Amino acid sequence: MSAAAMMALGAFGSATGGFTALSLAMDRHWQDAYGRGSEPGPGRRRLLRLGGSLALLVSLLACMALWGGPKGWVAWAGILTVAALASSLTLTYAGRTVARLGWSAGAAAVLLLGAAVLARVL
Amino acid sequence: MKEGFRQSMAWLHTWSGLLVGWILFMVFAAGTASYFRDEITLWMKPELHAAAGAPVAQAVAIAHAQQALERRARASPRWFITMPTERDPTVRTAWVPERKKEQPAGERPKRRAFGSAVIDPATGQELGMARDTRGGDFFFRLHFDLHYMSAIWGRWIVGACAMFMLVAILSGIVTHKRIFKDFFTFRPRKGQRSWLDAHNLSAVLALPYHLMITYTGLVTLMFMYLPGGVQAVYQDRTDSFYAELGGTGSAAPKPSGERVALAPLGPMLAQASAAWHGAPVGRVTVNLPGDARATVAVSQQDGHGIGNNLPVMTFDGASGRLLSASGDSGGAVATRGVLYGLHLGHFADPLLRALFFVSGLAGCAMVATGLLMWAVKERPKHFKARADGRIGFGLRLVDGLNLGAVAGLLVAMAAFFWANRLLPGVMPQRPEAEIRWFFIVWGVAALAALALPTRWMWQLQLALGGLLFALVPVLNAATGGVGLPASIGHGMWAVAGFDLVSLLLGVFLLACALKLRKAPLRAARLAGSTA
Repeated sequence: MSAAAMMALGAFGSATGGFTALSLAMDRHWQDAYGRGSEPGPGRRRLLRLGGSLALLVSLLACMALWGGPKGWVAWAGILTVAALASSLTLTYAGRTVARLGWSAGAAAVLLLGAAVLARVL
Repeated sequence: MKEGFRQSMAWLHTWSGLLVGWILFMVFAAGTASYFRDEITLWMKPELHAAAGAPVAQAVAIAHAQQALERRARASPRWFITMPTERDPTVRTAWVPERKKEQPAGERPKRRAFGSAVIDPATGQELGMARDTRGGDFFFRLHFDLHYMSAIWGRWIVGACAMFMLVAILSGIVTHKRIFKDFFTFRPRKGQRSWLDAHNLSAVLALPYHLMITYTGLVTLMFMYLPGGVQAVYQDRTDSFYAELGGTGSAAPKPSGERVALAPLGPMLAQASAAWHGAPVGRVTVNLPGDARATVAVSQQDGHGIGNNLPVMTFDGASGRLLSASGDSGGAVATRGVLYGLHLGHFADPLLRALFFVSGLAGCAMVATGLLMWAVKERPKHFKARADGRIGFGLRLVDGLNLGAVAGLLVAMAAFFWANRLLPGVMPQRPEAEIRWFFIVWGVAALAALALPTRWMWQLQLALGGLLFALVPVLNAATGGVGLPASIGHGMWAVAGFDLVSLLLGVFLLACALKLRKAPLRAARLAGSTA
């Protein structure tokens, strides 16, 4: 896989992970994932919000690195759209698996972006 | 006061959306298809599929093009050459026919048909036997010119609809009380609630795209909608305004009458490409080929910047010397170029174009669910008001128009591709015949929808459209195109992509039709819920 493809997929992965984390910080979607009546503790909620926002920021940085200024913004908007659709539909149709989706998307993003950065540095 | 404002915005959103929604769905669907305009055109010329193999060096391609044009159009005053790209692997050449001597001076010359030839870049052979079709250009023109009327009228209508669209988007943002709370929310199988969720989801998640595409769509035609500024400065010489805008200069050179052989184009392309840091050449225009005053304008290929203003280098045709290089434009021109380029998505590499395509599909879904929601909201009122369970004229009309505009259009789009393959390969006015089939099918679907706007009709049209789209790969393989296994095997993604996207769309429509079969149960619940 080329470094550019890794960077693009990484941007998508971190956006998906980020949106999933942000959605789990909301009561309704936490219940989609962990059943009625449960809710995230205040510490966890803060962590989810912080981690989710950071992941979205990382995907923006990856878009900027890959496409450069103006194009990067356009690409980021498109990636956010598709990533948010992916987390929303997972919440609706496979709520129990959404946490797994978030973690695997995030982990894939870390691996891909790490590899892309390494490929660029080396 | 705040609640009052929001309610008036809700009213504005409902009606501005409904009144233009039927045209907007077509504009969105055809516009979204236009992101793959070149791929559609290639698919619709199965004779050219085989040429979509390995890429050919620009120097080889241009040499073949020059040979072909010197053979075919020696006396023409102007040649146009479009270089091959990943999306359209052929060299397209066109030329202005030789000027007739008896043209009365001063009278505007009538536009005569250009000559054209498609050339295989690797061998230089003319691919003359490709069928005649409008291809993807049909959808592109349809989405802002409409059809069967003058383009000017079409543009005014589409422009008015786009203005309404902008109003609907902005008022929709105000009306939507829970943008962040419902950001990820879709609750299926809940009647009206589900339609609202689907509408919100497709609108909010792709909101940057919707705002961008509507606004930039208006900007692409701004000189038509707001001609005052140009007219005030240029008065009746508006032609020269567009010439200056396009960077082509206002005066075309006059022929000297002295014949001098055109220098080889290859080195000029190499020089231009080097000056653009390796970006390939997109189009070549040769003025007065074979004359001592010949000039060659070489412009960069799309897709290497965000704007639509491509850098151009002009060479002396006889000597091959560089005459001028453009590329720097003023702020206003550059801004318009960027907005124009954003709308067209020309800058996009395949991934970006795919993202635009998905966002465009979200736009289609937003318009369609918005239209359907009006009917879904209205229906319970009618059930309550009338004991016999019959629905009123207005709702029936909206039902019929929704069906014809959404499902009918999809059937017609599929029928257009089938007509392309099933009509005889050579026939007079073939492109018009394909387009006629598109409108015949759409017209029949719309009439059937208006006559019988029922759930059964939705099922029928969705299933029909789904079948036609899902069978596109079979049709392609059976009527001379490169089939799906071979196109994937050889990495011909332009051809394979068309088949795959059609297949997916077809399966999706079939799934929608199937889902409607389980409907009666839900219809009862839907009629009962007035949430």
